[in-house]
Amino acid sequence: MPKIHDYDGPILEIDKLSISFFTRLHEIPAVMDFSVKVSPGEAVGLVGESGCGKSTVALGVMRDLGKNGRIVGGSVKFKGRDMAALSDAELRNLRGNEIAMIYQEPMASLNPAMRIGKQLMEVPMIHEGLSEHESYQRALEVVTDVKLPDPERILRSYPHQLSGGQQQRIVIAMALMSKPSLLILDEPTTALDVTVEAAVVELVKDLGKKYGTSMLFISHNLGLVLETCDRICVMYSGEAVERGDIETVFNNMQHPYTQALFRSIPLPGADKNSRPLVAIPGNFPLPHERPPGCNFGPRCDYFQAGLCDQDDITMKDVDGDGLHETRCLRFRDIDWNAPITLAQTKTKGEIGRVVLKMDNLKKYYEVAANALFGGGEKRVVKANETLSFEARESETLAIVGESGCGKSTFAKVLMGLETATDGEILLDGKNIEQIPIDKRDTKTVADIQMVFQNPFDTLNPSMAVGSQIMRALDIFGIGKNDAERRTRMLELLDLVKLPREFADRMPRQLSGGQKQRVGIARAFAGGARIVVADEPVSALDVSVQAAVTDLLMEIQRNEKTTLLFISHDLSIVRYLSDRVMVMYLGHVVELGSTDEVFSPPYHPYTEALLSAVPIADTHVTKKHIVLEGDIPSAMNPPSGCPFQTRCGWKSRVPGNLCEEEVPPVRQLKPGHQIKCHLSDEELANMEPVIKFGQEAAE
Amino acid sequence: MEPLTWFGAYGSSFGPLLLVLATLAITCGLCAALLAFIDNTPRASFSLFNGVAVLLLLLVGFTYVYGGLTGAEGGAMPLSTLGWMLGTLAALAVFAAMLAWFLDNFFDNPAAFMGILFKWAIYGVGAVVVLWLVVTLLWQGAAHKEWLAGFDAADMPPAEEIARHRYISRLESLGILANVAIRFTPVWIALVVLYGVSIRYKRRLGLYGKLFDSVIGMIGFGLVMFWVFTALFVGVFDMIATHAALEQASGMKNKLPGTPLMRAGPEEFPFYLLGGDNLARDIFSRMVYGSTIVIQIAPLATLFAFMVGITLGLPAGYYSGKLDTALSFLANLILAFPVILLFYLLVTPEIVQTGLPQYMAMVLFLFPLVFMGVLIQSRFRTQPQKNVIWIAVVLIPLFLLYAAAINDGGPDSKIRFWPLDFFDIPPGILVVFVAVVFVNSPTVFRIVRGLVMDIQTRDYVAAAQTRGERPWYIMLWEILPNARGPLIVDFCLRIGYTTILLGTLGFFGLGLPPESPDWGTTINEGRKLLSIYPHPALPPAFALLSLVLGLNLLADGLREESLKD
Repeated sequence: MPKIHDYDGPILEIDKLSISFFTRLHEIPAVMDFSVKVSPGEAVGLVGESGCGKSTVALGVMRDLGKNGRIVGGSVKFKGRDMAALSDAELRNLRGNEIAMIYQEPMASLNPAMRIGKQLMEVPMIHEGLSEHESYQRALEVVTDVKLPDPERILRSYPHQLSGGQQQRIVIAMALMSKPSLLILDEPTTALDVTVEAAVVELVKDLGKKYGTSMLFISHNLGLVLETCDRICVMYSGEAVERGDIETVFNNMQHPYTQALFRSIPLPGADKNSRPLVAIPGNFPLPHERPPGCNFGPRCDYFQAGLCDQDDITMKDVDGDGLHETRCLRFRDIDWNAPITLAQTKTKGEIGRVVLKMDNLKKYYEVAANALFGGGEKRVVKANETLSFEARESETLAIVGESGCGKSTFAKVLMGLETATDGEILLDGKNIEQIPIDKRDTKTVADIQMVFQNPFDTLNPSMAVGSQIMRALDIFGIGKNDAERRTRMLELLDLVKLPREFADRMPRQLSGGQKQRVGIARAFAGGARIVVADEPVSALDVSVQAAVTDLLMEIQRNEKTTLLFISHDLSIVRYLSDRVMVMYLGHVVELGSTDEVFSPPYHPYTEALLSAVPIADTHVTKKHIVLEGDIPSAMNPPSGCPFQTRCGWKSRVPGNLCEEEVPPVRQLKPGHQIKCHLSDEELANMEPVIKFGQEAAE
Repeated sequence: MEPLTWFGAYGSSFGPLLLVLATLAITCGLCAALLAFIDNTPRASFSLFNGVAVLLLLLVGFTYVYGGLTGAEGGAMPLSTLGWMLGTLAALAVFAAMLAWFLDNFFDNPAAFMGILFKWAIYGVGAVVVLWLVVTLLWQGAAHKEWLAGFDAADMPPAEEIARHRYISRLESLGILANVAIRFTPVWIALVVLYGVSIRYKRRLGLYGKLFDSVIGMIGFGLVMFWVFTALFVGVFDMIATHAALEQASGMKNKLPGTPLMRAGPEEFPFYLLGGDNLARDIFSRMVYGSTIVIQIAPLATLFAFMVGITLGLPAGYYSGKLDTALSFLANLILAFPVILLFYLLVTPEIVQTGLPQYMAMVLFLFPLVFMGVLIQSRFRTQPQKNVIWIAVVLIPLFLLYAAAINDGGPDSKIRFWPLDFFDIPPGILVVFVAVVFVNSPTVFRIVRGLVMDIQTRDYVAAAQTRGERPWYIMLWEILPNARGPLIVDFCLRIGYTTILLGTLGFFGLGLPPESPDWGTTINEGRKLLSIYPHPALPPAFALLSLVLGLNLLADGLREESLKD
């Protein structure tokens, strides 16, 4: 079917778009008065927290709002044609042909029962009526473009045979099959690992240039938007609050929400003691409980009663040239360069004696090759390989690594859900590695507790919040009767700064951040001394992340807790940890204090990780390292060094050493160890990955 | 006495109106569905549709002619019946197609227009029914007054005769349908009260309250509660039914609905509202008595099946491995066995003689005890005092019930050691009960096992494990409550299956005694003379249909509402 040719205006013009969802009870406005323009070849970023309506905008553009969603005002023009005037048939022709969309969950976007090739070929066969042969050629070409190895084999395989990163590349390939003019990417990399994310983002950028496609990039990650987009639109609670060129908005923000957002993310330079993050106070308003006037008003530092809570606020032009707009009445009155007023500088807790010691810990799993009869040859999965470290009182030890690196297995062994294959875990000098959790005494169990990743999963949905904490108290033998336990439970709610009324609420009535606080309260119910925090903030919105991180730090300072902070987000690790352990495929590749790990010499994997993390700061220049390929499976690890398949430094090691031998652990400095074959000179010559503005200019 | 008519004295005026409106409703409904289907499709398929309709018409015409020709010589009835059917179909299709074409050309959204017409026709039907009911109820004494006016003041009949005549003439003017409706008065009142209270407080009633947001759920719940209340009022207060379930009246064998009794006593209801069956018993009364048996056995048997399925499914899903393999194999074994054959085996007198059903009851009835015991023990493990109290309060009565239930004082009973045997379950019912539980529990087992495997991966389960909870606490208090949605829906559906299963069993003459008024048995009784007297089999069949339909709609409503928000 034909495309609309010969059009040179903006590809997409959204003008004062309002979208509402209708429930039985009331109308819920999801997007209000939203305008944006996307020019040919331009990438526009749409940034905001979950629930701010950014995905609804994308669905509104596609006119795919479901049964109860409706566009109640404004217009969406695609290549100058009003989308509202199009019939269903014309819309079908546009979707997937002129406008393509890439979703967050790659597995959910692919049909698991169809070969990749067939799915890709469908697109041009439906939209352009190409023959099967031509479509196949096109598919082959596009799959080569998205840099997948062995395209012919990929086209023959089913989605489940590919890794997450490969699947997302296929989804991108599918979107590009019909050479669309507009690509909508809805959090395309959120489900991927950092190094894979970096590669996919790189790919999207390159392809955007190659095909000249305009992009609408939806993300909650400011760093990612900085890397990919030309212009940015910040959304809050259904409205665009600031809009402009990416450099302008990042360096010269004119809306209090944008400013608050930047202050709540850990940029290089932030420090948990001297320059802590500033969390945005209060909660995101629910769509039907928005305040009058400015939606951000109740949470804004510059709020002025009588002005900000009156009428609806329109977008104001900042410079008069229409390039930078903000939805703030007071933006001219605010001193944007005023330094952050610090509540207080916190003193760092004294790091005490060794509480937990791991020595040569190994955890292997045996997997039967033949599942049905249990016979046949057994394969060994080495989930953890010679793990050794010490953790001290009031210390934060960060464990960094991507999925499959063995950090969850390590947590399981520590908690006693699994027993170790070999090696030792010493808690206060006592061996606990062979004691499963039901054989451990209550004290040991209460001492080591865990905070989980997914706030929506961490609480039992059918039990009141208070009862869940009381159950933990009960199990840990705290309090003589229910009345005492209830008192203690309320104290715990105070500790995590939740109102006491929350005791009788059900988890579904709480927001993600609040749930995570309850999870923390539950973990500290038995006076835990070691807390394993498994990515406790990665599923939370940025503004909430800061508050929850802060809370963890504060509890740690008061209770002298040892925090094992599992994360893949290096920004937050740099911000809060004292020491960092980098893991790859079950091996500890680098271990040292935060400063040592974050400055050269690095392990090549640490270097790649550092380069992969997007940083939302225009003054920072990064060394550009993109890792090829995916993380190998632990079932079938590479020979020699686990990282050798993706390592960029491999050629600098003489001989075939990397492929033949697992590197030994080397002490670079006391307390800084690294598992690499690179020579001392090579390591010494490494350059820092992240440079700040002045350094970069030199 | 005249036999009762269906609509009573005013049926002749309202009947035709009702017929017209119902026809309109059906046609509009069909058209709306058709238009919704062809909407958005290109015109080509529309004309194709017309073409098919014309072809059908030609075919029918041919069949008519052929049927008429051969039918004249006799012996060709089936063909002309086929012609009739095809003819009606084709006429309807052509009519609908023409109407659709007309609407498509003259209205913006013909499907919506037809939908509105359909809605109003349905409202019309409802309004006419209400109007008819009101008129019938208000003027039910008119015939009696006319009759009284025919007498002079001097030769008035005796007072008893007047009263008797007033009574009978009222019943006559009401007709069968209104009389049946009036017999159910306590049920209507109970339903109105229940719905009033529930809708008033629906925001505070959790999932049950949300049910009243869904029309389908409300209809389903209404149908189910109708039979529950009927069973309650019949079983406990002996209302609604006009005669006893086993009472026979002379001359009423296979009589049509509305037939008056020949020699009705002064206290007796003078008509068989829905006719008499093969043994001259009142069909209406047997149907309402049958509801008590169905309503008693089906939910209870389903509950026991759930207890068994949950108690075995939880550990199978949680531990997986060998235990799971063994239990799943057992479940598959039972599932693979043909159900009806299994039932035949279980209820054969020779098998019953060996005491097998009793032994099975002994095992199956133990599960609720085990379930409750583990439930309490796992919850209050850390508080021994509370634990003992709870266990005593719950388990002692349960054990007494259990012991009494499995002990039977009968002569053939195999288990009778317990001195406090204060009730006996009739052997027939026990057999049916055990059979239904035995056959249903493997399916429940599989559902629970799957749900556990899914929920087990959640973080809150890991959190419970890391604080040292015992496995049974995790299974019963962390996993089971969160599997409740699908289980409640399945529970409703399964009561429906069990009801049908009971019907099937009754139909095959298994389990319950042949004189039992339960719906399956009565349908089987009525089946024998179905081609001559269809009326004895129809009321219990409709009752069964409406209850199962209600349960399915209820399950749909619950599923729909539990998915929202």
